[in-house]
Amino acid sequence: MKPKHLKKIIYHVLVGGFAILLLYPVFWLVMSSFKVSEQIFVTAESFIPDPFVLGNYAQGWEGFGDHGFGTFIKNTAIFVAFVLVGHLVSCSLIAFGFARLKFVGRNFWFAIMIVTLMLPYEVVMIPQYIIFAELGWLNSLKPLVVPAFFGHPFFIFLLVQFIRTIPRELDEAATIDGCNTFGIYYRIILPLIVPALATTAIFTFYWTWDNLLGPVLYLNSPSKYTVSMALNMFLSNETVSNWGAMFAMSVVSLIPVFIIFFIFQRYVVEGISTSGLKG
Amino acid sequence: MQTNIKQNLWGYLFIGPFIIGFLAFTIIPIIASLYFSFTSYDLFSAPQWIGFDNFKEMFTNDPRYLHSLKITFIYVFAGVPLRLAFALIVAMLLNTASRAVGLYRTLYYLPSLIGGSVAVAIMWRNIFGDEGIVNLALLSMGIDPVRWFGDPTAALWMLIFLSVWQFGSSMLIFLAGLKSIPQSYYEAASVDGASFFQKFFHITIPMLSPVILFNAIMQTIAAFMTFVPAFIISKGTGGPLDGTLLYSLYLFKQGFEFFSMGYASAMAWIMLIIIAILTSIIFLTSKFWVHYESEGGR
Amino acid sequence: MKKSLLLLLGLVMVLFLAACGGEEGSEENTSGDSSDEGSDEASGDVKLRIAWWGEQSRNDYTLEVIELYEEQNPGVTIEPEYASWDDYWRKLAPQAAANELPDIIAMDLSYLSQYAENGQLANLSDFIGSEINVDNISEDNINTGKVNDGLYGFNLGVNAVGFQYNPEKLKEIGIEEIPEDWTWDDFMEMSQKAADAGVYFDNGFQADVFFNYYLRQNGKRLYAEDGSGLGYEDDQLFVDFFSMIQKEVEKGATPTPDFMAQLAGPEDDPVVKGEGVGIFQWSNQFVGLEQTSGLDFNIAPMPGPNVSDGLFLKPSMFFSVAENSEAKAEAAKFIDFFVNNIEANKLILGERGVPVSSAVKEALAEEVSSSQAEVFEYISWVEENSTPMGPADPAAAGEIIELLTNLSEQISYGEITPEDAAEHFRTNAESILK
Repeated sequence: MKPKHLKKIIYHVLVGGFAILLLYPVFWLVMSSFKVSEQIFVTAESFIPDPFVLGNYAQGWEGFGDHGFGTFIKNTAIFVAFVLVGHLVSCSLIAFGFARLKFVGRNFWFAIMIVTLMLPYEVVMIPQYIIFAELGWLNSLKPLVVPAFFGHPFFIFLLVQFIRTIPRELDEAATIDGCNTFGIYYRIILPLIVPALATTAIFTFYWTWDNLLGPVLYLNSPSKYTVSMALNMFLSNETVSNWGAMFAMSVVSLIPVFIIFFIFQRYVVEGISTSGLKG
Repeated sequence: MQTNIKQNLWGYLFIGPFIIGFLAFTIIPIIASLYFSFTSYDLFSAPQWIGFDNFKEMFTNDPRYLHSLKITFIYVFAGVPLRLAFALIVAMLLNTASRAVGLYRTLYYLPSLIGGSVAVAIMWRNIFGDEGIVNLALLSMGIDPVRWFGDPTAALWMLIFLSVWQFGSSMLIFLAGLKSIPQSYYEAASVDGASFFQKFFHITIPMLSPVILFNAIMQTIAAFMTFVPAFIISKGTGGPLDGTLLYSLYLFKQGFEFFSMGYASAMAWIMLIIIAILTSIIFLTSKFWVHYESEGGR
Repeated sequence: MKKSLLLLLGLVMVLFLAACGGEEGSEENTSGDSSDEGSDEASGDVKLRIAWWGEQSRNDYTLEVIELYEEQNPGVTIEPEYASWDDYWRKLAPQAAANELPDIIAMDLSYLSQYAENGQLANLSDFIGSEINVDNISEDNINTGKVNDGLYGFNLGVNAVGFQYNPEKLKEIGIEEIPEDWTWDDFMEMSQKAADAGVYFDNGFQADVFFNYYLRQNGKRLYAEDGSGLGYEDDQLFVDFFSMIQKEVEKGATPTPDFMAQLAGPEDDPVVKGEGVGIFQWSNQFVGLEQTSGLDFNIAPMPGPNVSDGLFLKPSMFFSVAENSEAKAEAAKFIDFFVNNIEANKLILGERGVPVSSAVKEALAEEVSSSQAEVFEYISWVEENSTPMGPADPAAAGEIIELLTNLSEQISYGEITPEDAAEHFRTNAESILK
């Protein structure tokens, strides 16, 4: 009993202590959001804000012109929601196809998919922009969300790898029970890859929330801007930057991501263990 | 025969969305960029065919290019293994189901959530500043403080630390992988009296190998393409003395600051070839170390 | 298991529904944008897109100016598109490639040639004297927007370089004041005093800006008039200038480059923290310097000799009109309003550089802050003591500036001698500009 107790204490001290070390920068970020803008740099050594001000939050929340920061958060939430749905639906379907079905050209298409990941966006950006311009999709969310419904190589590959760890006997059993291919996907595979789906959801949420280049390129009207664009506008390359407001709104924009992560991480680790699958 | 057609049909039905998306949005830009790489193209006027000149220039007349290739290799080969090892260790530590651990998981993931915003750049400058916590720690250990932003080698290592610090995404994927290893395997091994290391090498690593493969490939690709950290940390310059001029940053400069999109495209295709070779090597070796449960344990 | 899956789906659905509500609104906007983009001028309804880079306060007052214009010009709707500096240029390049540029574009001197030479910008010459009233604007100021023979950007305000110093700190090192006619020799003497007192005299020199000043002092310039090469033949000028900077670092009057690289931001600067004497920089940075430091600064001209050959009034920003715009004349009218309207400029308050219109400048004299007044005063002095800027930088200027900045960095790190750097700069620059 006793050594087990001790082990637990050591574990928490170790893991907890290390967490604090890793999180120091994050604490610093949060603390800075309560400092007067000028003091963020001058008193960099002093960790605790003095005086403790909330003004940064009020100032940042005002946003620009007629658009409060709330608008940007709403826009980003809409953007993320579409991409999330797109990725979850399309990637699991496509991944199932690659991982479980035998068809002519499977390896070819898989290789193509991986290769599309290897070309930097900067060089395909201009031609792609022109395509979307021709479609009349500029200044709308379409160029940003429509492609999400056609899968994302990273998540397809991720889900493929997870599906491949699931024993095939399960499929065979289901076939005997009268399931067709879609049935196997829907009834057998989908429930078993919940951890990977949750991972997909978390990454999609965070990456989309953080995406800067896409919105910068395709959204023109400030009423449609996202959080990442708005944060950059607190800074100036010529005059005084409003660091305080930038830090404050950075903290605000972290909250949704944090919450989503906290909710979904449970599915990452609890998915299979509760499903009662035996190896 | 009939089943064959049916099988193909099902296959294309499932991967259909990918093919449609690829044909609609991706293939034309890819072909266009390949074409640009053989041209002199300034974004605004029509590209002019110049054959292999861009490629020749890169390898014979552009020391900055070769330098940026070199430091990108250092960044990838130092950063990726460190990050993956770190992520795996933490994932194993956090692979239990108590309430506190859920909180830990979130805390450990937090650094990755704050990602690539400007706030990170400032924060990082503060931490690695002259009087920042890193230099204070070094001092207390009797080591001379380092000018992290002023020394090209130190600056590159700082970028590597930043990437290791944001290990959360790999950790999460490892966690999901660890969770799909049936507990019964470990129980059986324990009954046989296996040690921790025996279990680690005979159960964890083989069972986790598909996920390790995934992480290794994706992190390698991502590391080669790293742009945002280098851009924000060096304020877009790639300095000091080009110490943080990662490949993508130099490519961006060529394309959008010098308006040499032809040259940038050529750079991109060389990068594609390098990454493709590396990932093919990883894929080829995977036959020997990656274990797929669905494929009869091979 | 089922429960958790349901929950996940539920969450997704909630987000999805929330999303649909919002999307409808933006959907309408989109179709509105593309269908009648400034096209129905005949019916009197004009829609203009205007884009600029900026931060919170610039965005706010520019929106007010736009509102004012819309009030006075019924039938004109102006859609603002603003972004941070980096994001702005990332956005503009693909827009140009797709012929989707906004009607009015804020333009920087460093990009003007690039966009103008490739036919992206409209020639404003035809609007001068008609849509754009230039009665109170000097020829020299207008000409800064010229590329080849066309006028592709309209100057919104001017800047000039100078030495912005903290008089208290100057007294501390035993110097009463910096005379208007100081020279590089005086500069080296003063900086020695600062070094002796253990204080930084300045922060070094932004390579491209001040090397160009130095060349102009010697009757040359960085780029040849036609932009096809360098504007000086004698590499000794390069060696002299950069050796001088190197010596400043060696004697401790200028911080070492690795020290400068460690600074977190302008707020962390020794001069801002009251630990250095001054900074050589553009006049539009003066207000920010006083604001962040909370200290009082003075502006001295650049060191001589031949100050007036070296100094020029630099356009801090242009408004350009896109060649693909369907309402160029309307766009020009807005530029006229922005430059000449007193009411509008009472909102702008010289934030985009000291106004080019003498009438506006006069009217603002009473309105601006004391910091800004000092800048106005310095610019008035420069007006009397400067020469025209000359042709705009060539299209490849970005690459040249980067080359020069890199070399000057290498010199200060001791990686290369000024002599070798001079030669390297010449060979590479000429091949880029060719």
